[in-house]
Amino acid sequence: MKVVPSRSSEWVRPVTSQKPASAIIEIDRVSQVFQTSARKDHLALSDISLTIEEGAFVSILGPSGCGKSTLLYIVGGFVSPTSGVAKIKGQAITGPGPDRGPVFQEFALFPWKTVLGNVMYGPRQQGVRAAEADAQSRALIEMVGLKGYENFYPKELSGGMKQRVALARTLAYHPEVLLMDEPFGALDAHTRTRLQNDLLNIWERDRKTVLFVTHSVDEAVFLSDKVVMMSKSPGRIRQVIDIDLPRPRRRNELLLDPRYQKYVVDIERMFDESDEAGAPS
Amino acid sequence: MMLPAAVLKRAAPVLACIGLLAIWQAAALVLKNDSFPTAIEAIRAIPDILGDKESLVNILASLRRMAMGFGVAVLFSIPLGLLMGRSRAVAAFFNPLLMVIYPVPKAALMPIIMLWLGVGDITKTLVIFLGVSLPVIYHSFEGAKAVEEKMLWSGAAMGLSPLQRLVRIVLPAALPEILTGCRTGLVLALITMITSEMIARQSGAGNILFNALDMGQYDTVFAMIIVVGAMGICLDAIFERIRARLVRWSEPQFDMPLSFS
Ligand SMILES: Nc1ncnc2c1ncn2[C@@H]1O[C@H](COP(=O)(O)OP(=O)(O)OP(=O)(O)O)[C@@H](O)[C@H]1O
Ligand SMILES: [Mg+2]
Repeated sequence: MKVVPSRSSEWVRPVTSQKPASAIIEIDRVSQVFQTSARKDHLALSDISLTIEEGAFVSILGPSGCGKSTLLYIVGGFVSPTSGVAKIKGQAITGPGPDRGPVFQEFALFPWKTVLGNVMYGPRQQGVRAAEADAQSRALIEMVGLKGYENFYPKELSGGMKQRVALARTLAYHPEVLLMDEPFGALDAHTRTRLQNDLLNIWERDRKTVLFVTHSVDEAVFLSDKVVMMSKSPGRIRQVIDIDLPRPRRRNELLLDPRYQKYVVDIERMFDESDEAGAPS
Repeated sequence: MMLPAAVLKRAAPVLACIGLLAIWQAAALVLKNDSFPTAIEAIRAIPDILGDKESLVNILASLRRMAMGFGVAVLFSIPLGLLMGRSRAVAAFFNPLLMVIYPVPKAALMPIIMLWLGVGDITKTLVIFLGVSLPVIYHSFEGAKAVEEKMLWSGAAMGLSPLQRLVRIVLPAALPEILTGCRTGLVLALITMITSEMIARQSGAGNILFNALDMGQYDTVFAMIIVVGAMGICLDAIFERIRARLVRWSEPQFDMPLSFS
């Protein structure tokens, strides 16, 4: 049995972990400057370096405005960094690609397509034959718990259902890395918990690399192998914390686990500190 | 059996028309003016117009020009508006031009166009084209501008090229707005069609109307107004049906339509 670490500093390990997993994403001294309307340059990300191993579930946690979304967009290739470079499998990222699948907080579903049409969109674009894409998509829709809703339009779905469709739509084209930006942020607590469980089940089945942005400490600890704590003004990485909890994780067991509780409490404390550090000066 | 509310909904346009005609009839009987025939007199004159081969040829020629002007305008304006909505450079280039054309009554351009291109079909079709283009460009532009960026990003991640994103994401996403512009454009097409035929009198529905006016055949004048008005209502109702079908996915559940369809 693993020993419960006693001090939070012991969890902070160097980026290289003990088992030699290969790095899939490398972020190397990335900075992002935005021109603001006040004509002042705003340093949203300052000198971020981070390595993400293949198959890891990594959460980015930090106060609002610290640049979490920006970092995710850079990895997605939607935004190019002012300086530094982000790489996937050793190749510099120059634009979006089907190897990285985004799931946005805003869902961003295609409203003129049905649930099935949305989920099939990626595979069809990739040249998968219609019958095959149809069968795969139906299976995915069932997996995210929306069987029977195949022919509904997005406007006919609740927020939680839309987010499930968004997840299925992205999973459908088999990206190697999932980029999730507060995907459950807009949902009520109950739906959120259910989707966390579902995501964890899906992830534990096929172990995709996940980069997951969240505001919620519980969520980050519950889901992740590694939590990247950011601080604000300018956006920096404050600490990278390995979450050493056994998998498969079951919510009801984990909530009672003192190790889980300690992670949550300690990270929450750090979060508060970084929030104070990031207060407007 | 239909519910009373449903019956009322179906009958409402008919009742509105009958009401309007009744007011007309009463007003004409009260005023007793030679140049203001009663509704019944005007309606009696309609079969004469529609039965006359020459009139029919004229009306069909009008409709043909209108369809042509509207069709070309839509095919031209939607891509332009969408490009303007997604590219700052394209918008910056065309915006000043459109700002100049926008407030000018298109019929006021007719004398110049007539001078260059004559009084035939091309001139009239061109004026219709100009009249229809602007609202369609404007609404396509607004629709394209409002497309959620994350939707385009999702498409880009699936491997859609910029052109594919324009055709397969921006176009459908902006379709409700585009079709609103087309509906305005359709009515404007009818208006510019008649106006153009009033100025360049050679053929068409507007020509029949003004010839009758010159000859003092007031019942024919009013009959033509009814015919043109009915054409407008029918075209709008047909268009509205098509529009509603195309954008069913975007309509709110409890919509209040402003149409006769
Ligand atoms: N396109 C932009 N132009 C100018 N400034 C921007 C732009 N995008 C982001 N910013 C700024 O960069 C900073 C980081 O933004 P970002 O959206 O990445 O934060 P975040 O950590 O995701 O916040 P939240 O948790 O609230 O989503 C913010 O201060 C924001 O004002
Ligand atoms: Mg964000």
